[in-house]
Amino acid sequence: MDDSIEWNYHSVRAQKARVSVRLRGTPIRLLRVLAWMLLVFGVALLVLGVAFGWLVLTLAVLPWMVIKWYFGELHHLKSGPGNSVDSLLSGDILGQLPARPTPQDIASAVGSVVSGQFMGVRFGLTPSLLSHIASSEPSDTARVWQEAEHVRSAAHVPHYSGSVMAVALVRSFHDYQHLIAQIHLDDDDLLAGVRWQQHIRDLVTSFSRKKRTGGIARDWAFGYIPLLSRFGQNISQQIQGGDVLAVDVGSHVEAVAQLTQTFGARGRQNAALVGQAGAGKTTIIHAFAQQLLDGDSSVPDSLKFRQVFILDSSALIAAAPGRGELENLIMRILSEAYSAKNIILCLDNAQLFFEEGIGSVNLSNVLQPIIEAGNLRMILSMDEQRYLQIADKNPALINALNRISVTPATQAESMLVMQEKLLQFEPQRSVLYTYQALKEAFRLSERYLHDLGQPGRAIKLLESSANYHESGLVTMNSVQTAIEKTMDVKVSVASDQNDRERLLNLEQLIHERMINQKRAVQVVSDALRRARTGVRNENRPIGTFLFLGPTGVGKTELSKALADVYFGGEGKLIRLDLNEFVRPDDVSRLIADGVRNSGSLTAQVMKQPFSVVLLDEIEKAAPEVLATLLQMLDEGILRDEKNREVSFRDAIIVATSNAGADRIREYIDRGYDVTQFEAQFTDELISSGQFRPEFLNRFDEIVVFTPLTKQDLLKVIDLMIQGVNKTLAPQHITVEVDDDAKLLLVDAGYDPRLGARPMRRVVQKTVENTIAKAMLAGILESGGKLVLRREHIEQSLASRPTQNQ
Amino acid sequence: MLMAIVGILLWWYTDGWIQTVRSVRLRLAGLFDYFSLDILLKTLFSPFRQISAGTVDGPLPVKFRAFVDRLVSRFVGGIVRLLVLGIGIVSIVVASVVGLGYIFLWAVLPLSPIVGLILSLLGWVPWTIL
Repeated sequence: MDDSIEWNYHSVRAQKARVSVRLRGTPIRLLRVLAWMLLVFGVALLVLGVAFGWLVLTLAVLPWMVIKWYFGELHHLKSGPGNSVDSLLSGDILGQLPARPTPQDIASAVGSVVSGQFMGVRFGLTPSLLSHIASSEPSDTARVWQEAEHVRSAAHVPHYSGSVMAVALVRSFHDYQHLIAQIHLDDDDLLAGVRWQQHIRDLVTSFSRKKRTGGIARDWAFGYIPLLSRFGQNISQQIQGGDVLAVDVGSHVEAVAQLTQTFGARGRQNAALVGQAGAGKTTIIHAFAQQLLDGDSSVPDSLKFRQVFILDSSALIAAAPGRGELENLIMRILSEAYSAKNIILCLDNAQLFFEEGIGSVNLSNVLQPIIEAGNLRMILSMDEQRYLQIADKNPALINALNRISVTPATQAESMLVMQEKLLQFEPQRSVLYTYQALKEAFRLSERYLHDLGQPGRAIKLLESSANYHESGLVTMNSVQTAIEKTMDVKVSVASDQNDRERLLNLEQLIHERMINQKRAVQVVSDALRRARTGVRNENRPIGTFLFLGPTGVGKTELSKALADVYFGGEGKLIRLDLNEFVRPDDVSRLIADGVRNSGSLTAQVMKQPFSVVLLDEIEKAAPEVLATLLQMLDEGILRDEKNREVSFRDAIIVATSNAGADRIREYIDRGYDVTQFEAQFTDELISSGQFRPEFLNRFDEIVVFTPLTKQDLLKVIDLMIQGVNKTLAPQHITVEVDDDAKLLLVDAGYDPRLGARPMRRVVQKTVENTIAKAMLAGILESGGKLVLRREHIEQSLASRPTQNQ
Repeated sequence: MLMAIVGILLWWYTDGWIQTVRSVRLRLAGLFDYFSLDILLKTLFSPFRQISAGTVDGPLPVKFRAFVDRLVSRFVGGIVRLLVLGIGIVSIVVASVVGLGYIFLWAVLPLSPIVGLILSLLGWVPWTIL
């Protein structure tokens, strides 16, 4: 118990806070009306020659003084001296508390102030929740004050704001960890919330501060720039007009400082911002431009009030399509920028000016001498890959540039950038984002969006999430829905009743189209349930399985059933026959870029990450191909030939193999159960050199499929007849096969080496042929029913040419 | 009530007055910035909008012509800048006088109801005397 935390209801600050609360809203408006009325009435009396008007007129001063006092001191009551509660508690809360406040009183006050409501909207710590968990015992209040002090010092904020008090009330609740876990928060998130609210308050204060902008004569000593104004975008003007809000986070501050240093010192006046798209290069340029415009900033005088222009390559190409014309135009623009003396020229996506292509043109011969001379201030921005490409083709150009690396933002920095971006997004889209949505946007963008760096990719997801808001609120669910809709993946934990039912009855659903193989079905069902309830390692695929067994026993069928039942259709099956990857150089085909080869494994998974990846006949693949697949099995990541990460973390990887099929049959014939010989069989596969142990160890489960018995085949026939009936359903024709006839079909189609495969051919050539003939002969018409008996099958089998031969 | 009166008066002659002085100072700084007084003084005779600025290479007549152009540009720039400088200085002087008056008025304002009462009791209205 910390005795230093005191509460003095009668302190001067507490009394002022109560006056402030009483004056808030209508009373202060009434005072304003009264002041004006006294003023007008007093003047009117004086005009009429009534001396009493002096008193009325001067009495207007009294309400005016109160108004001044309210806005000058009471409205934002400064913290008092010392560390007592009444010194540090936000005035709008302090003024509402009684002499012996209970946690309930505090909750009620917190719920009525803006900083407290902030936590309600952004974090789900709503006034009703706070009132619900707060105790009504005055003796519990001391604990709330203690928690408030703890939160204030941990979050490094100056006073007990509504957000601090909301967190303190939550932390005073006996089972608060459980409570915040339910709304997907932890202690660090709550502190981040307090800092966020304080940051917004600081931003408002900073924006209300009047800045020195240079005034009307600022640009008089600099030149006219008509061409540049036509083909460039004046970033400085946009910032001044309030169009752009530049962010100010750690990783960017350093880059801005480097830019200032480069242009403030003598030497080549150019800088190349090199970093992944989305890492914040353009934002850094905006922040730099903003700093130059701030007359109070510490930039050298030679940079103060300089203007940053971004050249628009497409506008240039459109205006001067001819080769010579374009070079001439560029020269005139550069000359204009140089003569004007206050221009910093920026080539955003600078590669567009150094390579031939659609929307780009190689102007190296014009730009290189200017960059090398280093007299005209220029900023070039490009990604690392393009920088290396230019370096490869033109090392002299790269040597002339002052490189500034822009690294992708960390999670903490990305969260800050997102929070600041909300100041733009929210009014534009008329929505409010919760903190959980921001966190989820970072997490999911890290996982599913790969073309951009952070914070760009999180912001992109955040923007698209606005379309899935719920009553104006963008929540964690909105972000999940956005990624599910755009990427066609399932990221949310199963919460819908149908979804739960489906997951609980997965085995049953799969067995509707799969016969036997109970263990295999059980193993994959368990993996899916783990995935959809969040009980799995998210840095691996949902499940990795090696299906071993003879052909025709349902290995591929189970993969299809999975794709259908869980992922929503057999179209979600990505199938690769690895017997087509038997040479070492086939690795390049496996990880080929999607533009060149849309059928490569990486290209298909990039398009459809939420799928079953079926690698058939894996034992036939070249060892180099198998080695490439190791990382995919282990970490759920495979890099394509362009070194892009392709995530397999939402896929089920199924590899199938016929290796050792004869041994499996042998074991079964000798009366063993699968579970009895599975481990020994795996050892045999390793010792016989068919698989390397490190490869087999990468699979979650190695499942041995048993050969189908005649009893199993009877059930397979039922499934096949069901399939035939489904095909005939539009014609309203149904087919039934007698039990005797089924036995005959099984006898004809049973081949222990080939499993159910021959069965399909037999059904096709007997049942389907008989139906076709019956329909042509007019025996079977729409709405009719055909019952196939043993003799029908015998007849069909007898007429089979292969059988006769 | 008493606390409120004491609170107002205490604030009025301490923080309130300081805030008033600060707001006058900010207003003056804003005017100074708006008229770019420091920039105008630094660039008083620079070419206006950089027309004909920079060195020109060529035969003597061309160089002479550039020199004359530059001279004209500097002259025009000087006139415009001096004009704005004058307007700026006058504006700041007026704003300073008004600001000082406001700061003084702030100090005596709480006494104005008493003055009003006295004037009312005296029955003095300037235009009725006239």
